[in-house]
Amino acid sequence: MQLRLERRLEKTHAGHRVLVTVLSILAALVLGAVFLSLTGASPLLVYPEMFRAAFLSWYGITDTLAVAIPLILTGLAAAVAFRMQLYNIGAEGQLYVGAILGSWAALALAPQLPKPLAIFVVFLFGAIGGALWVLPPALAKAWLGTSEIITTLLLNFVALYLMRYLIFGSASFWRDPATTNFPQGKPLPEEAFLPVLGLTRVHFGLAVALLAAVLLFVLFSRTRFGYDVRVVGDSPGAALYAGISVRRTIVVVMLISGSLAGLAGAGEVAGIAHALDPAGLAVNFGYTGIIVAALARSSPFGVVVVAVLLGGLQNAGTALQSIPGGGGVPVEVSFMLQGAILLCALAGELFIRYRLKTRQSVVAEILEPTQQKSGSATTERAQP
Amino acid sequence: MKNGTPEARSAVEARGVSKAFPGVIANAGVDLSVQRGEVHAVLGENGAGKSTLASILAGLYRPDDGEVLVGGEPVNFGSPRDALARGVGMVYQHFRLVERFTVAENVILGDPRQPMLLSTRRAENTVAELGRKYGLPVNPRASVEDLSVGEQQRVEIVKMLYRGADVLILDEPTAVLTPQESENLFETVRAMAAEGKSVIFISHKLSEVLAVSDRVTVMRDGRVVARAETADSDRRSLARAMVGRDVDLSVQRAEKAPGAPLLEIENLNAPGEGDAVPLTDVSLTVHAGEVVGVAGVSGNGQRTLAELAAGMRKPLSGRVLVKGVETTGRGPKATRRAGLAYVPEDRLGTGLAPSLSISENLLLTRPRPFFLKRKEMADTAREAIRQFKIRAPGPHAATRDLSGGNAQKALLARELSDGPEVIIVASPTRGLDVGATQAVREILDQRRRAGCAVLLISEDLDEVRSLSDRILVLYEGRIVHETSGEAANVEDLGLAMAGAG
Amino acid sequence: MNEAVWVLTLAAAVSAGTPLVFAAVGEILAERSGVLNLGVEGMMLLGAVTAFLAAAASGSPWAGLLTGMVAGGGLAFVHAFLSVTMRANQIVSGLALVIFGTGLATFLGNPIEGNPLKPSVVDFRVPVLADIPVVGRILFDQDPLVYASWVVVGLAAFYLTRTRTGLALRACGESPETADAMGLSVARLRYAHVVVGGLLAGAGGAYQILARVPSWSGAGTTAGIGWIALALVVFAAWRPWRALLGAYLFGAALAANFALQAAGVNAIPAEFLSMLPYLLTILVLVILSASSARKRLGAPAALGVPYAREER
Repeated sequence: MQLRLERRLEKTHAGHRVLVTVLSILAALVLGAVFLSLTGASPLLVYPEMFRAAFLSWYGITDTLAVAIPLILTGLAAAVAFRMQLYNIGAEGQLYVGAILGSWAALALAPQLPKPLAIFVVFLFGAIGGALWVLPPALAKAWLGTSEIITTLLLNFVALYLMRYLIFGSASFWRDPATTNFPQGKPLPEEAFLPVLGLTRVHFGLAVALLAAVLLFVLFSRTRFGYDVRVVGDSPGAALYAGISVRRTIVVVMLISGSLAGLAGAGEVAGIAHALDPAGLAVNFGYTGIIVAALARSSPFGVVVVAVLLGGLQNAGTALQSIPGGGGVPVEVSFMLQGAILLCALAGELFIRYRLKTRQSVVAEILEPTQQKSGSATTERAQP
Repeated sequence: MKNGTPEARSAVEARGVSKAFPGVIANAGVDLSVQRGEVHAVLGENGAGKSTLASILAGLYRPDDGEVLVGGEPVNFGSPRDALARGVGMVYQHFRLVERFTVAENVILGDPRQPMLLSTRRAENTVAELGRKYGLPVNPRASVEDLSVGEQQRVEIVKMLYRGADVLILDEPTAVLTPQESENLFETVRAMAAEGKSVIFISHKLSEVLAVSDRVTVMRDGRVVARAETADSDRRSLARAMVGRDVDLSVQRAEKAPGAPLLEIENLNAPGEGDAVPLTDVSLTVHAGEVVGVAGVSGNGQRTLAELAAGMRKPLSGRVLVKGVETTGRGPKATRRAGLAYVPEDRLGTGLAPSLSISENLLLTRPRPFFLKRKEMADTAREAIRQFKIRAPGPHAATRDLSGGNAQKALLARELSDGPEVIIVASPTRGLDVGATQAVREILDQRRRAGCAVLLISEDLDEVRSLSDRILVLYEGRIVHETSGEAANVEDLGLAMAGAG
Repeated sequence: MNEAVWVLTLAAAVSAGTPLVFAAVGEILAERSGVLNLGVEGMMLLGAVTAFLAAAASGSPWAGLLTGMVAGGGLAFVHAFLSVTMRANQIVSGLALVIFGTGLATFLGNPIEGNPLKPSVVDFRVPVLADIPVVGRILFDQDPLVYASWVVVGLAAFYLTRTRTGLALRACGESPETADAMGLSVARLRYAHVVVGGLLAGAGGAYQILARVPSWSGAGTTAGIGWIALALVVFAAWRPWRALLGAYLFGAALAANFALQAAGVNAIPAEFLSMLPYLLTILVLVILSASSARKRLGAPAALGVPYAREER
C-alpha cells in the first residue's frame, strides 16, 4: 500500500485542529513517561501528583493562575508577532526591562499618586520598557531587513546583565541600601502593590492579561489594522500593491509585542516580588511564551488556555521536587516536557495541512468522476 | 510484447496514464506514442494536462495508473534521474537552473558520471562543443543569473543533450522567445530529429505546432481527443479539437477614434532595484477608448513600467498623469483615487493575498473602514462571484485555492468595481484556458468601448496583437518601436523585441 | 614568563572562538542545504553536559568529545525529521529544540553542577612553529582541538567548492526544485548535513567544557554562544574561512572581559563587559544588513523553506 501526502484544500475546522493539538500533547506526555521511568521515577505516581498540585487544590489552582499571568502576556507578545511571520524571541529581555522601568515608576512616582493611578503608571512604564527594548531590532528589521530572531534574542542577555548590574553590581536606585551581603531590590511602596485575590498570589495582572487578550482579538479580526497585518504577513508584495506601509506595520506590531512582554515584567514586580528581583524574574517566562503562542496557533483565546495549562505544568514542576517515591524529580523536567509538547505539536501540524491518501483511493477517484464534489473551487478538470 | 525491428519500436510511449492532484484530475487514460526521429507535438489549451503528462514521462511524477514505456519496455521512473538514465529529458516551462551557478556547473549537477573531485574544465569544453554542434551557443563559464531568458533555455537544452537524452521534451518553449528566436529553436529541433532523437513539443499555439511537428496529439480536460499527421491537418479542425467547440479568437479593435489622453507617461527614468530593470526615458500616452499594447520579452522593464505608472514606485525623473492629474510617486492609494486601476501580472503574490478569502481580498485596494463590516464584505463577494461567474465554493474560500482563471476574474471584479477610467493590465490571460481568455478579452474590449484607456503590458505577442490599437515595444527599459495595431508586422516586432529593430 | 597582556588575550581569543568555529561551520553546512537550524545553543549545551559526564566516567576527554558530538547530532536529527519529513516551521522547530535541549541538559547536569572536570584536554605546543614570536604563542600553543578546528574549516571549504557532493549540497539550498529535477535526493542531503551540523555543534559544546570552562554551570556554560554562532554564519556569508575569522573576532570580544579585568581596568563594571559580545554581534548584523541591503547577503536562496515536490 503506497501512502501519499496531499495538501488539504478545505480549511480544517477548529475542532480538528484542537484534536491534533491534544493528541500531540498526549504523545509528548507518553514520551515524558518513558523518560521518567528511565530515570527511576514512576510516571504513574508523578503525573497524577502533578495534576493534583497544579489544578486540584485551591492553592494549587491559584498558584497556577499566578504563573499563567506572565505566560499569557508573553504568549500574546509572541503570538502578535507570529501573525506577521515575525519572531520576537526577545520577550524575556523585554520583560526584564519592563520590570526595571515598572519598578522605577513604583519607587519614584507611585508614592505621590492615588492607588489606581499608581498601578496604571507602573503598568504604563512596564509597557514602555518592553517597547523600548524591542525598538532597535524592530527598526533594523523594518528598514534594513536584519533578522529580528537573532537581534531580539541577543538583547535578552544584555537585559539580564543590566538587571544584575542594577541589583548586584552597583549601588543603584533600585538596590535596597539596607542589604549589603546579599543584595536585593528596594521594596516597593504600598501604593504600588497590586491587589490580589484573597490570600492567593493571583494579582491584578490577570485582569490586565485577559483584557489584553480580548483587545487583541478584536484588533486582529475586526479592524483595518488587523487586516493590514494579515496582508503584510501573507504577502508583502500584495501589501505594497495595496499601499500598506510594510515598514510601519512591522514596527507597530513589534512595539505591541514588546509592550505586552513589558507588562508581564511590571506585573511580576508589582504583584509578586514587590521589588526588582532578578532571580525571580529570570525563569524563562519569555521563552515559554513562545511555546504558548506556537501551541495556541497565535489565537489570543488559545493563548489564555494554553498559558494556564503550561502554567500548571510549571507550577507542578516546582511542587514535584518534594513528592514521595519520585526521588525528587527536578524542576527541569517541566521545561523538557514543554519542549517535547511543542515538538510533538509541530509534527502533528503536518496532519492539519496534509492528508494521507492511499494510491488506490486516488485511482478510484479518477475512474469515477461522478463522485467528484460539484461546485468545488477547482472543478476546472485538468491542470497543466 | 516486443514486436518488429528496433526501428518499429517507439522511442517513448504512454499507455493509459492517469494522474490526479488535490481537487483536480490532470490526466485520465492518456495514450501517446512517439517514434525515433520524430517531432511530436502535444497540443492543448492551458489546463489540458499536457505538462503533467510530460512530467510523468520525464520521471518527475509517478502515474497513478497506466504505464510508461521506453524503447518498447515498461519503465518505472523513481525520479528524473532514472528518466535521464534511460535517455528521457525535459526542459520545463520554469527552468530548473541554479541561478548562482555557472552554465557548466548547472550542466554537470547530479551527473553520476562526474568524479567526486569536480573537473569543471572538461565539462566546459564539452558544453561548448555541444553548443556549437546544435546551433545553441552558450558560454560555459557564464553565471546563469546573468543570461537572458532565451540563453537560459539554450542552457537547459544543452544540459539534456550533455546527459545523453535521446528523447527531449520541451514544455511551452516559445513562451519566452522572440519570433526569431522561436525560428532558431525550430531549426534546432529539426536538426535533433534528423539525428534520430525524438522531440516532444508541448504547446498551446497552433501556428507553431503546424510549423514544426510531424505528428500531433491533441489533449483536452486531461484526455486525448485527437491524433493527426501534421501534414494532413488544418488550423480549424485542430482548434476545434483543442477547445471542443468553434472558437472565434479573432482580433478586436476600437471602432471609434480615440478621445482625450487619460494616461500620460512622460520621460520616465527609474533605477533598477533588485530584480527590476531600469527604465530610460519612457514616454507613452493612452487615450480614452483606446488599447495600447506594450510588447517585449520578459525581463525588459515591464514590471518597472507598470509599477511606476500605478504609483507603487517613485521614478528618478519624469511624470505620470492620470486624467491630467499628476500622480507621480504619490502611492497606489492616491493613484487609485485619481481613477487608475492596476491588474498585476503576479495574480497571487501581488494582486491578491493568497491566504485571505475572496471577500477579504475584494477589499485589498479599496478604502477600508476602521471596523471591518464582515457581512457587507461577504455580500459584495457573492455579487462579484455571480456577476463575473467566478467558480468558487463561496466568498470565504481562500484565493490561493482558485484556479488561474477564477483568480483573474476576482482581480478584475475588484479593480473594475469603481469604474476606473484608466486600466493597466499585465499579462491578463497568461495561463488561462480559452474560455477564461475569451471572457477577459471581452471585458477589456467592453471597457475600451465604454471609453476607458487601457494599457496592456504583455510578454505574449499574440495577446498584444489581438487587442491593441497601437503597439509599442519595450526593450531593455526603452521604447524602441511603435506601430498601429493594423499595420503591425510580426517580423518587425520580433526584431524590435530582440533589440535589433 | 612575561608575556604581553595583549598576546595572552589574542591567544585566549583563539581558544574562546573555537567553539564558535565548530558550531558555525556546522551551521553553514546545514544552512547551505536549505535548512535553518536555530537549535545550535541547545545542541552545544547538550554536547557540553554529555561530554562532561562521559569524560568523567571514562577518564578520557576524547570519549567526552565523541559523546558530545553524538548528543548534538541526535538533537539535530530531530530537527531534520521535523523540518524535512514533517515540513514543520523550521524556526519554531529550532526554538523548541533549544528549549528542550536546554531543559534536558540542565536536568542531566544537575548532579554535577560545579564539580571540576578532571580529565581535561591538555595543550599541545607545535614544535617549531610555536617558537615564532607573538604569532607562535597565539596560534601554535593551543590544545589539539584548536588545530582540529582549522582542519574542519579547510575540509568544509574544499568540500563545498570542489566536490560533486558539495555542488549538490549548494544546489539544494539555492534551488531544491532544480536539485530534485536533476535527480538529487534533497531530503537525504538535508538530513545528512543537518546532522553533521549537530555533530559539530556538539563538538563545540564539548570543547567549551573540556578545554575552557571545566565545570558545569547550567545554561550559563555556553551563555548564548550558540546564538552568536548563528549570527556568525551570516557574517561569514556562509563561507567557512570567513567563519574562522569572524569566530576569532567574537572570541576576542569574549576574552576581552577577562583581559580587561586582569589588566586592572575596574572602571568598567563586569556586567557591562559581559554585554559586549552580544552588543557587538547585534552591531555587526545591523551593519551587514545596511551595506548589503541591495544584494541578498549571499544567503542560500531557499533557506528555511520546506521543500516538497508535488507528491510522486
